[in-house]
Amino acid sequence: MHADDVVNCHVLVIGSGGAGARAALEASRYGKTVLVSRTLTGKGGCTTMAEGGYNAVLRKLDSCPMHVEDTLRGGAFLNDPALVDVLVHEAPDRMADLIAWGAVFDVTDDREIAQRPFGGQRFPRTCYAGDRTGHEMMATLVERLRGSGVRQLQDTAVIELLKDGNRVTGAAMLDRDGDLIICYADATVLATGGGTRIYDISTNCAAGTGDGFALGYRAGAELIDMEMVQFHPTGAVYPYDARGRLITEAVRGEGGLLLNRDGERFMTRYDPERMELSTRDVVSRSIATEILEGRGTPHGGVYLDVSHLPARTIEERLPVMLEQFLAFGVDIRKEPMEVAPTAHHIMGGLRITPEGQTTLPGLFACGEVTGGVHGANRLGGNALADTQVFGKRAGESAGKEAVRGGTVARSRIEELRAHLDGYYGGTTPPAEIVGRLRLAMWDGAGIFRTEKSLVETGRVIDELAALTPRAAGSQNLLWCRTVENMIVLSRLIVKGALLRPESRGAHVRKDILQDWTPDRSPYMHTYQSLSRAGIETREVQV
Amino acid sequence: MKEMTVRVSRFDPENDTEPHFETYTVSVHEGARVLHVLHVIHDTLDPTLSYRYCCEAGQCGSCSLRVNGEPVLACMQEAKDGMTIEPLNLPVVRDLTVEMEDVLARLAPFPAREEAGLPTKEEIEAMKPLRDCIECLSCVSECPAVDVASFLGPTAMCQEMRIALDPRADQNRIRNAIEEGLFTCTTCQRCRDVCPKNIEIPGKAIEKLREIANRQGLTLPRHQDVARLVEDTGRSVDRTKPTFLEQVPEVIEPDGPVRGEVGFFVGCMYNGRLPETALDMIEVMKRNGIRLIIPHDQVCCGSPLIRTGQTRILPALKKRNIEAFTRRGITTVMTMCAGCGSTLKNDYDTPYTIKDVTEILTEYGIEPPAALDIRATYHDPCHLLRGQGISREPRELLKTVVREFVEMPSRCCGAGGGVRSGLPDQAAALGRQRDDEIKKTHADVVVTVCPFCEFHIADSTDRPVKNICTLLLEGYREKDRKKGVKKESE
Ligand SMILES: Cc1cc2nc3c(=O)[nH]c(=O)nc-3n(C[C@H](O)[C@H](O)[C@H](O)COP(=O)(O)OP(=O)(O)OC[C@H]3O[C@@H](n4cnc5c(N)ncnc54)[C@H](O)[C@@H]3O)c2cc1C
Ligand code: SF4
Ligand code: SF4
Ligand code: FES
Repeated sequence: MHADDVVNCHVLVIGSGGAGARAALEASRYGKTVLVSRTLTGKGGCTTMAEGGYNAVLRKLDSCPMHVEDTLRGGAFLNDPALVDVLVHEAPDRMADLIAWGAVFDVTDDREIAQRPFGGQRFPRTCYAGDRTGHEMMATLVERLRGSGVRQLQDTAVIELLKDGNRVTGAAMLDRDGDLIICYADATVLATGGGTRIYDISTNCAAGTGDGFALGYRAGAELIDMEMVQFHPTGAVYPYDARGRLITEAVRGEGGLLLNRDGERFMTRYDPERMELSTRDVVSRSIATEILEGRGTPHGGVYLDVSHLPARTIEERLPVMLEQFLAFGVDIRKEPMEVAPTAHHIMGGLRITPEGQTTLPGLFACGEVTGGVHGANRLGGNALADTQVFGKRAGESAGKEAVRGGTVARSRIEELRAHLDGYYGGTTPPAEIVGRLRLAMWDGAGIFRTEKSLVETGRVIDELAALTPRAAGSQNLLWCRTVENMIVLSRLIVKGALLRPESRGAHVRKDILQDWTPDRSPYMHTYQSLSRAGIETREVQV
Repeated sequence: MKEMTVRVSRFDPENDTEPHFETYTVSVHEGARVLHVLHVIHDTLDPTLSYRYCCEAGQCGSCSLRVNGEPVLACMQEAKDGMTIEPLNLPVVRDLTVEMEDVLARLAPFPAREEAGLPTKEEIEAMKPLRDCIECLSCVSECPAVDVASFLGPTAMCQEMRIALDPRADQNRIRNAIEEGLFTCTTCQRCRDVCPKNIEIPGKAIEKLREIANRQGLTLPRHQDVARLVEDTGRSVDRTKPTFLEQVPEVIEPDGPVRGEVGFFVGCMYNGRLPETALDMIEVMKRNGIRLIIPHDQVCCGSPLIRTGQTRILPALKKRNIEAFTRRGITTVMTMCAGCGSTLKNDYDTPYTIKDVTEILTEYGIEPPAALDIRATYHDPCHLLRGQGISREPRELLKTVVREFVEMPSRCCGAGGGVRSGLPDQAAALGRQRDDEIKKTHADVVVTVCPFCEFHIADSTDRPVKNICTLLLEGYREKDRKKGVKKESE
């Protein structure tokens, strides 16, 4: 390992997905901004994979109160209402920013941004760019970044937030050779995205290892509702290595039908009103039940069929789906897809104010790494809006922080270095730890949970945490650190799930009987930090 | 599960001076992609293996590399036993990881005009195909022009065209596009071939940008000369000797019974520069029973104009060429110039079928020639291989007429896209690269089926460069000679 490189800046943004890129653009208006990402700028993260769309109230017939209500209802009333309010009211403006910066979204014949229906919403308010909406947003943001003064550190990952007292003053990172870089910043924005890669079956990209949750937690920030993990109803089941890959909700939005082995449109039995376009938690549980009760397909899924739609509609509206399935030998214009639930989104995360301020001074957060916006279940299309709305807010808040020129205790860096060196003498290949972790999380902390399954998963996690991942060379140090992050995230999820004695939204405790509906639940957020953990309660009028 | 053995290129910048191959045997699931094979190697055999990936769904463009020499997305390409995995043809950082940041950083930012409002549906639809680009740089890594000229590459042209199409852009960037190397592209179509998103950069971006440059008077002077020549004479080359059309009648009957009949579209090069080659072709056709109908009122197909963005008089040329053949009731038109063939097939809407001479000869089947006592190699003309998807026919014909056939890697010779006339130094540099490959084959003769390639490669190598028809004719003459010798000795 070489002598540390040191980078100084006003704002350090960690992660170049939709939220991080937006935050960096905003922060750069206030001072020198550095954008660091594990991958090449814009190429990492889940934003670029998002297919379906971006929710915004744009039409006279739609309204912000309606969007708020849909979001709260979808989120099983666990959402932080102040955050929802901001999300809904600013989503249209942030969409306008993207359009002004050159985003190529679909438009109608009347030259309005086209919108389509998405699950759990009473108005078709999901804006889209074919089925590569997230890619379009990233392309636009990256074009904008190129013309901005933001300095990009690519193929470089943050492994620890650095502090001066209680204040976050930057971060330590590893570049692709495994060399340590230290960055001092007046303000730091965490925008590392989600982490469902801790599950055996996941839609997330390879960067979805939940680094940010672990970084924040270790630094002392408080996280809320970590048990709230969304299982998307429609993930691919074949081929094995591509299991979990997302089949966008747009497929159902465009009229796709869910059928069991017997060709029955089984949603009639679970949600006859909303059918296939019910909220994700409901559809996921319905599919999981069909499979568990033996009405699944040979590959262990159910059918999702669009073959009744005109071929042209499929070609125009779902080109990426068509192309991906063709690559796997299935022509969705003629045959049904096979789908099953897959771990998709982490609704919980760092507690933030509407300004994107975390519970730690100097640390801001935005995007999927935060909690509170989506409550117990996220509506399709709300996450992309979240990245832009809170990306801008967090970037602006960070930018407005005073210039102070932070310092970090040298000893902290030495400690970190010693910790990294420890990986060279590690006990276990990282992939082995991760493989076991993923299975344990899927089995015990997945769609259906019980105290017993959670405790057992916790035990496996403890066992895995006792192992030291082994590095074969300096470029493996990051992967070892990532394994530790995944363990931290898994623990947070399991503990959150044990803290919440109810079924709510995406969190289903099969061992708990309750006589309240979500709007009448006595519980609010679960919270966890280095110093405390628990669940908030509230008075409910009977 | 299934087992497969693969070769992977490894390079450690600290210890290696150049990459080497390692062989790995791994066990993977049915349907595994190349990326999953790399994961298994990394996770179980060698954790130091370096490769990029992220989305694993063909959407982020990080995982591009080469399998058996062809660029692919590792996350989408199905893994095959025995495959060879190499990095893209870009500076290698480590193993399969290449330097991408530099190229990406130089792509144009979007010059947003405030308060521009939404584009119309038509404008959006026009931009969309270019927006599919995931910036995987497969195209850049394979582009011959990037290799020898100051050219930012096809991705940059895609981006410039996307900006040019966008009514929200407040800047006319055509001069930037020219600085980035707009005129260095040979229109070889290699980028289109390797693009995982099937983006037609030469046709949909580069030629269109050249049209915009043309409207602003920025076409290269030499290209303007060509356009003027076509306008004045109907031909893109000047008359320096008797042309092919001046030397032949409209109908050429075969020696024996008529087995078929085709119209012949000669093209400017064979008409004006290399009429001898076209006359050789006639001999081959006569010998094989194919009647040729050669309308004398045909003109330039317009290819040199389309490739250089000078399309103003194109409709008039098209009309004349279509009428010249339909008036004579011709249903199949044969080309022997790859450029004309590709243009008539792809840029025209013809009421008749277009076929290359090698397709015609293969379809009808030819009298076997004598095998000449030479070693030959074949140069794939870009406009035949990629423009028309033809590679098998010329090789099979060639194998019948030589003692030995050796392959060489197919790559653009540098003649196309107006580069030979507009940027001769660049064309010569690509020509020299061809010569290097030719030398490696130790061939006595280079065979091709395009007058531009024939002419240009001949300038770059000391080997003779011949059209397949010329060689076939030599084979027939040899056959006749042998027969004669035999008769005499009887
Ligand atoms: C397949 C798929 C489809 C989706 N479709 C939709 C949709 O249609 N509509 C919708 O609203 N939402 C959708 N979502 C959800 C949505 O895409 C995400 O929630 C959102 O994009 C997250 O954005 P982000 O900026 O927070 O994180 P990401 O886009 O995930 O970006 C995270 C960034 O952080 C970087 N990073 C991570 N760890 C580190 C580290 N340690 N150091 C440095 N950098 C790091 C990564 O490299 C990356 O650049 C989808 C999600 C997936 C997976
Ligand atoms: S057509 Fe050939 S020369 Fe032109 S950009 Fe594509 S690869 Fe490069
Ligand atoms: S044009 Fe195609 S090959 Fe080139 S960078 Fe874009 S997606 Fe890749
Ligand atoms: S990993 Fe993203 S395109 Fe292959």
